[in-house]
Amino acid sequence: MSTDTQTPQRSFDGWKWGGRVFLTLLLIFTVMPMAWMLITSLKTGFAAMQYPPQWWPSEPTLSNYTRLLDPSNSVGQDFLRYFWNSLWVSTATTILAVIVAVPAAYAFSRFRFPGRTFLFFAVLLRNMFPAVIFLVPLFILMRLLGLVNTHGSLILTYLTFGLPLAIWLLKGFYDNIPIQLEQAARIDGATRFQAFLYIVMPLSTPGIIATSIYSFIGAWNEYIYAYTFLTRHDQMTLPVGIQRFFSENATDWPGLMAATFMMSVPVVVHFLVLQLYIVRALAEGSVKH
Amino acid sequence: MAQVVLKDVVKNYGSVYAVNHVSLTVNDGEFVALVGPSGCGKTTTLNLIAGLIPISDGTIVIGEREVTRLDPKDRDIAMVFQNYALYPNKTVFNNLAFPLQMRKQPRETIEEKVKAAAKVLDITHLLERKPRELSGGQQQRVALGRALVRDPAVFLMDEPLSNLDAKLRVQMRSEIKRFHHNLNATVVYVTHDQLEAVTMADKMAVMNGGFLQQYDTPAQVFANPVNTFVASFVGSPAMSLIPLQVVTHGTDVALQSAEGWELPLSPENARKALSAKGKDVVLGARHSTLKLHKAPHPGAVPGRVYTVEPTGDVTFAQVFIAEAVVNISVEPTVMLDPDEQVWIEFDQSRLHLFDGETTMALSAR
Repeated sequence: MSTDTQTPQRSFDGWKWGGRVFLTLLLIFTVMPMAWMLITSLKTGFAAMQYPPQWWPSEPTLSNYTRLLDPSNSVGQDFLRYFWNSLWVSTATTILAVIVAVPAAYAFSRFRFPGRTFLFFAVLLRNMFPAVIFLVPLFILMRLLGLVNTHGSLILTYLTFGLPLAIWLLKGFYDNIPIQLEQAARIDGATRFQAFLYIVMPLSTPGIIATSIYSFIGAWNEYIYAYTFLTRHDQMTLPVGIQRFFSENATDWPGLMAATFMMSVPVVVHFLVLQLYIVRALAEGSVKH
Repeated sequence: MAQVVLKDVVKNYGSVYAVNHVSLTVNDGEFVALVGPSGCGKTTTLNLIAGLIPISDGTIVIGEREVTRLDPKDRDIAMVFQNYALYPNKTVFNNLAFPLQMRKQPRETIEEKVKAAAKVLDITHLLERKPRELSGGQQQRVALGRALVRDPAVFLMDEPLSNLDAKLRVQMRSEIKRFHHNLNATVVYVTHDQLEAVTMADKMAVMNGGFLQQYDTPAQVFANPVNTFVASFVGSPAMSLIPLQVVTHGTDVALQSAEGWELPLSPENARKALSAKGKDVVLGARHSTLKLHKAPHPGAVPGRVYTVEPTGDVTFAQVFIAEAVVNISVEPTVMLDPDEQVWIEFDQSRLHLFDGETTMALSAR
């Protein structure tokens, strides 16, 4: 490190600049659609269809947003309902994922029991197949359970999708917490559960936050299962519900873009928080303390 | 404070015995060191006393109560861990307060006791810090503080000094000894360092392969090791052991090496040597009981210098005798060269004889 800063600046480092150019192009490629989404959402319906396109709307308007957030018209009612459904499904999934993943990861990390290795890899088995493979079997299963057209079907499904990584990630955290901390707590007068609650849990908070955000985003973005399991409008989640902007006579592009933008807000916010923790979560175990 | 009694304690994992029928009594106020090489079962024994791992067989009594199946929290013990195991998310104050909080003591009592403990250990100025902001020695003190804040029946210490640097280790060694003296506490102390055991403990329990080898005062263990393992483990440098054969010439008894020289034995040592099961005997001698001659000397056996280590006060020489390495201390003024031929004289009254088959010390019954 120190020698790096001391050497005089070289005139031109081809690799460094090549890398920067590449990253810049990549950034433009990923940011452009989002920028276009935002710009379009500020246009009127007429301006959105103009050719050549207006790069910046001549008359920016927030009417698309106010319409979506106004519960007094039917579009707003629908949007807010979808939003609420998505929020409920994602939150419930997240809470359940934490409730299941925390004890499961702790058990995998701390206890030796018959079939431990097998079970641990069985948990990961789900992630070895594309999600679509399970679509029909799960639909049949949900029908048998009478869960079709309920949010329960989605919560259960998303839970099974989010859990493997959540357990894997948290196990890494618990593996890194010295067992002596719990032993010390138990000698200091704590039960095994209290030792977990007061000592281990606070230390694994970054992992719990990372896994819960991961589950939340997964559930929030999911489309194909929501589309298959739910047919009633009042049950639909955002990714499915937003589709309705396409269907009526002409597509309301600015409305669609405004809805998409609002839908991506929680994901972006969560992800900004997540990336702080996920780096810590993934780096955990890479170095010896 | 209380006594600790282990009776026939066993911990096995299938056919592997980590602790094999260990029985010992730690009297009230005694400082006992469990000592042995790594994997000898000393830490497992400590964990069994603490209740951190389930016992396979036997009983453990602390004070008047049998605690064999009790939870660690119900055994009235405190433990200091090798890595200190301070709660990283809590301040020093809260680390010390945790055992009291868990026992639902009122806030004022907690504050009072924590401050008192902090004062004893001279860590009052650190109370608001987090463990990671402390030096190794300070962490060690906090760990001790967390143990003593509650006034437990027994203190258990698992290699508490092994993470410290050499200088600090010597300092903390005397502090822990003082701590034991002041509190008149019952302490069970695990260490792999026999020097720590010898210098600190009232009694030492030498373990190897899950078995308790010898349990006695350091002086006794040093003077009368029960077998070759204890002999070679305790003392620095270790006792030198030379495998030899017993030979008799009429009533005279001597030890013979493969090279052919013979070491005549005193009548008492002769009786010991003859009590061996076979002809194989192991001769043991501490460095300070040996005398080095540069020329042939009556009763001295030949050897060849291997290395010479001057330490200032005294010079340690390693000498090959009958293919065994023997440690000898000599005056620093004595000049020795590697591969030099020397003669070693044994002090008959201070040498040890062990049975070559059973490795047990031989006695002149």
